[in-house]
Amino acid sequence: MKSLIAFMCLLAVAFASECGPLQRLKVKRQWAEAYGADYSREKLGHAIWSHVFQHAPAARDMFARVRGDNIHTPEFRAHAMRVIGGVDMCIALLDDEDILNSQLGHLAEQHSSRGVDAASYDTLEHAIMMAVEEVIGSQVFDEDAWEPCLDVITAGIQG
Amino acid sequence: MLALFVVLGLVAGGLASNSCTTEDRREMQLMWGKVWSAQFTGRRVSIAQAVFKDLFHNVPAAVGLFDRVDGSDVNSNKFKAHCIRVVNGLDSAIGLLSDPSTLNEQLAHLATQHKERTGVTKSGFAAIAQSFLRVMPQVASCFNPDAWSRCFNRITDGMTEGLPA
Repeated sequence: MKSLIAFMCLLAVAFASECGPLQRLKVKRQWAEAYGADYSREKLGHAIWSHVFQHAPAARDMFARVRGDNIHTPEFRAHAMRVIGGVDMCIALLDDEDILNSQLGHLAEQHSSRGVDAASYDTLEHAIMMAVEEVIGSQVFDEDAWEPCLDVITAGIQG
Repeated sequence: MLALFVVLGLVAGGLASNSCTTEDRREMQLMWGKVWSAQFTGRRVSIAQAVFKDLFHNVPAAVGLFDRVDGSDVNSNKFKAHCIRVVNGLDSAIGLLSDPSTLNEQLAHLATQHKERTGVTKSGFAAIAQSFLRVMPQVASCFNPDAWSRCFNRITDGMTEGLPA
């Protein structure tokens, strides 16, 4: 009996860290709620990038072309919208793996020359999760679904 | 005096008939949001693909502009992913109708991306606008073509700045 319980626990842990079909549906639903429409998107984008630059101030230099020094400018806001628009696309495609992979290949091309290291993707992932949790609430935020599914996306962008 | 009011009324009427008003953009965001949300599985691919199939049916020469993304095979993953990107760009712009200064930056960015592609013209955008008008009523309930067109034009006007006619 004891070993059965231990086995079930292991199973639960194994499931928890996977971006399976059910986790993908959960992430799609929670993202749709957070991304919303209209102004809430801009708030989400702002939350993500203020978090990123707080944890990695040096990353601002990578965004000089779009006014990374001041995330309140229309130039940077438009950039933030493009990024979360890209996140939105990948999440919408989570349950259509062939097209998702084609899209990740496209994003990989757009990033290959910019020298983004793995740690920066981790920071961005963390920022996205914090921002989504902020909007939908910590009671319902499913970190075990979000983390592995965001890993799928950023791993694809890193090629 | 009366004549002045008449003139002002005409001016207001003239403006209202062409520009994307606050009411129009709210309506567009509603019409669009209800069919495009990330939570709905499979909808995006179907809608985006339907728009491009309609465009290629009406403007066969347009297919050649999409060689890089397998435009001749609308069912390929590469082309489907392209469809999604294009319509996602529209999605961002529709959202930004509420924040015109950011919208203008975003439309300028999209204009640059299109200027780099030889063969992309203003009339091409007019054609795809017609495709959206044929596809959207089929998927959106309570579709308002007038409000949609006024705001769609507001977006494409910014995107096509500097493109040939």
